Amino acid sequence: MSRPSSFSLRGRRAIVAIKDERDATIVRRQFERLGVDSIAWEPTEAIDFAPDLALIDDEFLPLTQPARRAFLGRCPVIALLGTETPSRLKLVFELDPASFLVKPLRSAGIYAALVMAIERSERTSELKQQVLKLEQRLRSRRVVLAAVLQVMHSHALAEPAAFALIRKAAMEQRKTIEELSAEITAKGMLPRATG
Amino acid sequence: MTKPSVPVGIICSQSGPYQAMGREILKSAMMAVDEINNQTEFGFSIAAHIRDPRGIISEYHTVCDDLIRNVGVEHIIGCYTSASRKQVLPIVERTDRLLWYPARYEGFECSDNVIYVGASPNHNVLPLVRYVLDNLSREIFCVGSNYVWTWETNRVTRELVSAADGHILAERLLELGESAVGHIVDEIVRRKPPIVFNTLVGSSSYDFIRAFHAGTKAAGLEIPMLSCSLCEPELSIVGPASAGCITSSAYFESIRLPENRAFVARWKARYGDDSSPSVDGQSAYVAVYLLARALQRAGTSNIAEVRRAAAGHRYNSPQGPVWIDGGNNHCVLTPRLAVSNPRGQFDIFWEADAPVKPDPYLTQLDVAVSPSRETSAGDALPNAPHLRVVK
Repeated sequence: MSRPSSFSLRGRRAIVAIKDERDATIVRRQFERLGVDSIAWEPTEAIDFAPDLALIDDEFLPLTQPARRAFLGRCPVIALLGTETPSRLKLVFELDPASFLVKPLRSAGIYAALVMAIERSERTSELKQQVLKLEQRLRSRRVVLAAVLQVMHSHALAEPAAFALIRKAAMEQRKTIEELSAEITAKGMLPRATG
Repeated sequence: MTKPSVPVGIICSQSGPYQAMGREILKSAMMAVDEINNQTEFGFSIAAHIRDPRGIISEYHTVCDDLIRNVGVEHIIGCYTSASRKQVLPIVERTDRLLWYPARYEGFECSDNVIYVGASPNHNVLPLVRYVLDNLSREIFCVGSNYVWTWETNRVTRELVSAADGHILAERLLELGESAVGHIVDEIVRRKPPIVFNTLVGSSSYDFIRAFHAGTKAAGLEIPMLSCSLCEPELSIVGPASAGCITSSAYFESIRLPENRAFVARWKARYGDDSSPSVDGQSAYVAVYLLARALQRAGTSNIAEVRRAAAGHRYNSPQGPVWIDGGNNHCVLTPRLAVSNPRGQFDIFWEADAPVKPDPYLTQLDVAVSPSRETSAGDALPNAPHLRVVK
């Protein structure tokens, strides 16, 4: 299933923690124009729902209490920067922001920051999934290697032919090479295809 | 007793690639200024300070700075391309002035220091592409000037066409002012697309339309062309080759409203029977009136008060009722579709049955939904663009 377009913001829910009332008004107005639901958040409050976005003013940093940090990693964060000093940026890194805006805010830039944060977060999440998958495959390489050695020995085959045999059997049995290799090492032989 | 005078800046290029439109904007704006200055209902007169950036992008910044710093204007009418508006935007925001921008544009902007008087993307490209998908073809060949208007128009077109299981057959871009259009016409003649969408601007567009007409005629082809910007003065510049172009616009000279008939009569009395007002020119005329009426209501030229006084007040303009949506500073107006005829005019064949709320960020766009079911911003305004045939 294709994911919703990052360009479409209508109906998204954003928690907004902004100190300055003028900046907060600009965000509220722009969110209204974009169809984004704005939920004002005091960083002392716990969050018991999953927002689609978070706008966090650097005035609230560092977020030390666990309740304040609960949303981190669950949704893309847009940091609102009042200063570009390295010491402040270091604190901002803790939010792992997907995008940022520079204060004082103006309506221009907010849409781009939101779209970029959503897109960045989607891509990062896809990358994390990919990394997990690759890590699992890496772990199972040992089992595959053991299975290849076993088939080389039992069938008197060279390594490429043994691997090809395992891959063919895995395809026939609609299993992954890793799953079939685990069966080979457990049973000591190539399992026969069923059905 | 003489009336107090309000200085107003007018920025439009009288030379360069889109000089024709710059001249139309100036002519219409000055017509409105003169009318207002001669009417007793306004307790002030407008002193127009005209600046010509000559189509040079950096000049827009210079002339705007001059108007604000040396003339002391609080309100500026003008700019045509988005690139020119973006040059002026930082200055009007920094100095808290108000730009009254007459041209239709691609959207995705909403400054508190700009009143967007022209059509938003939901007013122009959406009705046009939806009409084409419903009635003509699901395959479109796009040709346009290589800048933001074309990029964004093509993106929206591609989304709508893809959702209808159609195809964008090609996307050919030319630099602004480019006149070498032969290779694109050759490709069109060779590939015979069912529809060509033209988002070229100024002289490139005129050259392309003439070459397209000659090329397709010689090959015995009849390929409809689409436009979101073609207007009557351009039909006259292009000549007979401009007939048959399906065009989306909020204004055509042929609109049958008493306000428009009177406007066209005044226009012809001023500029000659052979001349025609244009959509962007008429929009500049509307901009001057919206500004003057807001100044009158506010009793001051202070921009915060003028902006407040301007929002939501209906003005029965030549193009029909127009008002500013206070939520996004864009105008509520009526989209129309027409086809250009050999007499240099447009035959309107449908229009929304009520003024449509502006949706500059296309937040209400659902590509899979037909236009009659699409909703606007969810309030009580008459906004659903139910289309009706105009006889």
